[in-house]
Amino acid sequence: MIFGMWDGVYFYLGPIPVDHLIVTQWVIVAAIGLIAFFATRNMQLCPKGLQNGFEMLIVWTYDFFTQLMDKEHVAKKYAPLLSTFFLFILFSNYSGLIPGAAHIQGFQPPTSNWNVTVTLALITVLAVQSSGFAEHGFHYLGHFVSPNPLMLPLNLLEEITHPLSLTVRLFGNIFGEEMIIAYMLFLVPFLIPSALMCLSVLLGAIQAIVFTILSASYIATATGEGH
Amino acid sequence: MGIALGAGLAVSIAGLGGGVGMGVAGGKAIEAIARQPEVGGDVRTLMFITFAFIETLTIYGLLIAFMLVSKM
Repeated sequence: MIFGMWDGVYFYLGPIPVDHLIVTQWVIVAAIGLIAFFATRNMQLCPKGLQNGFEMLIVWTYDFFTQLMDKEHVAKKYAPLLSTFFLFILFSNYSGLIPGAAHIQGFQPPTSNWNVTVTLALITVLAVQSSGFAEHGFHYLGHFVSPNPLMLPLNLLEEITHPLSLTVRLFGNIFGEEMIIAYMLFLVPFLIPSALMCLSVLLGAIQAIVFTILSASYIATATGEGH
Repeated sequence: MGIALGAGLAVSIAGLGGGVGMGVAGGKAIEAIARQPEVGGDVRTLMFITFAFIETLTIYGLLIAFMLVSKM
């Protein structure tokens, strides 16, 4: 099962096979939803506990994206999407660190599979293009021929390499980390892999942040002035 | 044999270049923060973006290694 392609299909939803990755993602979405529900169930003016944490997250992300994008209305529009990216990727990366997860087949982080990261990158592409059109109208198409029409192939290539690099970065990092931990567990079953798992806690958070920041900066370049 | 060697070389050469690049970028970023601690946040964000771009090239090497190993 190299490339994490254990095709354990549980059941079929019409023509769509529902495998372990999809079920894991449902669990992650449900977990995030439940935490958010309990955080906002009875909101108070003076927040404490979970509500405090969520308010901190939201304020921090709004400030951060406003600073990154220079345009406040664009940042306000896309901050929910980008924060969701962050939370979802963070939870997905950490889902591989549940004790015993490495020994159960089909219990791997969803982001260690091509298909999930391609989907996330395609959502980013859609957001980038639609944000460009929403901000500039049809003048947005002008940026494909921006210095002169000779640059058209290069500009188109750039639009393709952005999602490609987003996909490969997230997938390669998480899958490589999982593989290294698996080999370490095979070589030394005790204690040594825990150091690598500590490292992968950091790595998972950094990858989630990097995906979010890069998506934000692509949206910022699409909506920015200059074309 | 050849495929195993190729997989090892792919990831090691990619890692070599990426390591040198990241070292230069990280060192310069730390220099900048040490000289001007008030721009630390901005420099840190840019540093992470740069690291992500450098790292992608290494990950491409890793990907080729995985593909080669799966062909073995």
